[in-house]
Amino acid sequence: MTPMNQTTHPPDLPRPTPVPAEPAPTPPPGAKKRRRPASTQWAAWAFLAPVTVYLVLFYAYPLYRNLDLSLRNYTVRSFVQGNAPFTGLKNYRTVLDDPTFAPALLHTAVFTFVCLAFQYAIGLALAVFFNQHFRLAATLRALFLVPWLLPLIVSASTWSWMLNSDSGIVNAALHAVGVDPVNWLTSPSWSLTSVIIANIWIGVPFNLVVLYSGLQSIPSGLYEAAALDGANAWQRFWRITFPLLRPVSAITLLLGLIYTLKVLDIIWIMTKGGPADASTTFATWSYQLGFGNMLPAFGPGAAVGNLLVVAALVFGLVYIRVQRRQEALS
Amino acid sequence: MSRTHARTKTTWFKTTIGVVLTAVMLFPVYWMLNVSLTRDTDMRKSPPDLLPLHGTLTGYRTVLDDQLPYLETSLVIGLGTVALTVALAAPAGYALAKLRPRGGRVLSFVLLAAQMIPGIIMAMGFYAIYLQLGLLRTVPGLIVADSTLAVPFAVLIFTAFMSGIPGELLQAARTDGAGPLRTFWSIVMPMSRNAVVTVSLFAFLWSWSDFVFASTLSNGGAHEPITLGIYHYIGNNNQQWNAIMATAVLASLPAAVILVLAQRYVAAGVTAGAVKD
Amino acid sequence: MNSSSGQRRLVVAALTALAVTAGATACSSGSGSAGSKDADSGTYTVWDPYPQFAKSSAWVKLLDQCGAKAGVKVKRTGFDTSDLANKTLLAAQQGNAPDVLVVDNPVVSTLADGGVLTSTADTKLDTSKVDANLLAAGQSGGKTYGTPIGANTIALYYNKKVLQQAGVDIASVKDWPSLTAALAKVKKAGKKGITFSAIGTEEGSFQFLPWFWGAGAKLTQLDSSQAESALSLWKDWLKDGYAPNSVLNNTQTTSWQEFASGDYAFGENGTWQLANAKKAGLDYGVLPIPAAMGGAAAAPTGGEFVTIPVQQDTDRYATSKKLAACLTSTTNIYATDTTLSYVAPTSEVQDKQVADNAELKPWVAAVKAAKGRTSDDLGTKYPKISEQLWKAVQSALSGSKSPKDALSSAQGSVK
Repeated sequence: MTPMNQTTHPPDLPRPTPVPAEPAPTPPPGAKKRRRPASTQWAAWAFLAPVTVYLVLFYAYPLYRNLDLSLRNYTVRSFVQGNAPFTGLKNYRTVLDDPTFAPALLHTAVFTFVCLAFQYAIGLALAVFFNQHFRLAATLRALFLVPWLLPLIVSASTWSWMLNSDSGIVNAALHAVGVDPVNWLTSPSWSLTSVIIANIWIGVPFNLVVLYSGLQSIPSGLYEAAALDGANAWQRFWRITFPLLRPVSAITLLLGLIYTLKVLDIIWIMTKGGPADASTTFATWSYQLGFGNMLPAFGPGAAVGNLLVVAALVFGLVYIRVQRRQEALS
Repeated sequence: MSRTHARTKTTWFKTTIGVVLTAVMLFPVYWMLNVSLTRDTDMRKSPPDLLPLHGTLTGYRTVLDDQLPYLETSLVIGLGTVALTVALAAPAGYALAKLRPRGGRVLSFVLLAAQMIPGIIMAMGFYAIYLQLGLLRTVPGLIVADSTLAVPFAVLIFTAFMSGIPGELLQAARTDGAGPLRTFWSIVMPMSRNAVVTVSLFAFLWSWSDFVFASTLSNGGAHEPITLGIYHYIGNNNQQWNAIMATAVLASLPAAVILVLAQRYVAAGVTAGAVKD
Repeated sequence: MNSSSGQRRLVVAALTALAVTAGATACSSGSGSAGSKDADSGTYTVWDPYPQFAKSSAWVKLLDQCGAKAGVKVKRTGFDTSDLANKTLLAAQQGNAPDVLVVDNPVVSTLADGGVLTSTADTKLDTSKVDANLLAAGQSGGKTYGTPIGANTIALYYNKKVLQQAGVDIASVKDWPSLTAALAKVKKAGKKGITFSAIGTEEGSFQFLPWFWGAGAKLTQLDSSQAESALSLWKDWLKDGYAPNSVLNNTQTTSWQEFASGDYAFGENGTWQLANAKKAGLDYGVLPIPAAMGGAAAAPTGGEFVTIPVQQDTDRYATSKKLAACLTSTTNIYATDTTLSYVAPTSEVQDKQVADNAELKPWVAAVKAAKGRTSDDLGTKYPKISEQLWKAVQSALSGSKSPKDALSSAQGSVK
């Protein structure tokens, strides 16, 4: 075994991250004109330096590591000894050919978009509601954040407890109103719905807080003027709140998307992606391959993880395009 | 007279709706509390008891005996993560929002991508790095690791919020002879109080509930956070559910207090801003 | 072994390179600090899957005593059992494996295959007294990679009160048809039949294996007609309402909680629940899991092995061996297995256990008849087979596939 092989390999690999320490050689097209005095540039990068150094120090290595795992044929033995042969994209091919791929892709898409839509809609409705002045508003809003305090292992376990087919409170309540019990976690047609419900519950506080802070920065004078013009509450929402909240909404949705794509613990604790892969997403599949078995398949697991990174990059690009267009407008 | 009366009425009406919504939202939390008080033999009773009528405090007794030091560690780590996150992210947000640096977009993009790395892979990376630096099982080590959960988010949030600060204000400051640092410190930061509170809240909550980093980087150390404390009730064949749930309840109490206080502060900041207008 | 030093160099090189590109020198303080172990050669690390044992527990005291006897200090960490194998792999990769590792038996062959464990031939750890069927779980390729600290297995707990109300004589339950008939009677009497764990993890396979083996099926052929009959048995119990639908999501703990509610006639569970059964105040009995045609089915062995991971500094093995031998000495193993509710791995201690506690008698018999999951030279093939097995159980019980289809696609995936 020749450990030195390891050190000679990395240069062959594609660079894990573009290192943004030096200013990009060409300014991005579409950016506003010349007005970029050198002194501002220095100041800007001085402000950015800590976070840049931090990114390079703490993200580059794990990212490199994940790429390396996905491009080599790792077995338990070669994982420990570090001499796995380079196999190029073979792991990716294995993953694409796997019968789990299509359902996992579908579940990931459904899970992400349904969760995102509900979390955002509920979060926004609650933010608007709590933005009014009434007694206890601040305290109640704070209480809405309590679900965030719970370690995921506990909140996910509580949900699976409540949704238990036989002794769960949800089925007991359904029974009380005369509805047949539902096998929330154990039937292939319901398990995805169940994890979506639990994840919406967990995601609402995040949307509420960010959107609420966004609402706070809308000047109240605007509303008063609109009220004087005779606009009702609904009109005020669509004409003032919603448009002015757009930048905050965009970032909330983007972050929500990224967090939802990689949701693992909730699904894993509640259903393990089952029964029969009925609630498997890319995140749980990646974990299942890499860690869910006594004999880990690190390579394919990392490959699935990287597909998720690529998906997030695509959405990140979309976001940046939208942002650029907005800047051009303003 | 009658008008103020009607107004009080709508206020109470809204409060009632607010209470109902909160109750629905917190039902799972109540259920956790209920389980923490349930006897072992009633854990899987069908149908379940709505109230812990045959309550037992054994879960809490066990937990109080063992868990207090863990809470303290979690608190220190949470506050450390908040400080580190704000210190790193606020200047970066300012630069990205207002100073238009070359390559800024690339950086925001990298920040987005950074968040997609699966937590377990991040943890494996940190393990290798920390082993070299001797930071395994230390509080600062865990603070740095936990901050990776919040920093990219925080930069994006600061950028989004600081974009809303009117350019004229900064221009005026510059005409008065203030340098970028001065502008940042005495104009941008005070105006970004909401963003700071939002970011701090999330940074705190994420580090408070982090399990993956804690279990990889600090298991077996002298200072373990509360999420690892929970694992003391998960044996290899047995899980003590009422102790687990009791730990979760206790763990959420101090954090809930901090939350309520933070919310008050946001409200105060908002009214102060309104007066200035 | 100098893989870890190579790895270390790589990390340092990568970090330095990155720090330089970033134009920062912040990292300079980090060079040169070695692994934690080199700092203090008189401290030996022990990892175990018993996080429930706090510092004041008998287990931790025993570790300290064994350390004192060997003249070293012991630093112990308890991990969640499902986490321990990964943590060990990660630590071994970084050259930081513990000196002594107590680990779940089916993982031993995987770790051994990864080159993480020393064999008993290398360390001269004595395993001659251990029952052969138990030791087999830690053997792979003709070598033994540790010694069991205790063993457990699963059987059927039954609730005497429920059976009496339903008019079932437990002596009549001898094979599958008579068990199913008893369940039918129990259901008719308005009580619940049987609960077990069919979750999509190793626990699910662990609980299914006695029925699978009891039908005469073999792990090398998952789609045999015997295997199908075992899976159909479970499937029909669910269909007829003899077993609750929640078994699909039950861990062995939640399944136990169902049995402890007092409504169920039978619960498939392990030796470790004995103490809880007494605490719950149940009037219970224990029955070996019947085979299809009668007689007791072989159940899989559970329990942990004491192993000695590979170290760079091979001089440490002598002390590690002393620690392992101390932990598994006759008196210590008796004490440890009593706290864990395990059956001891040697006949000598088993006899003592039965003499002190007659309730252990059926369990000792069950352990003697039990079979290691990785035995039959399956070794590292077992995890793959097991994963397909629990997937097939989940597919069949949730109704997404018939037992036959589920098992044949499982067999297809193993190949």
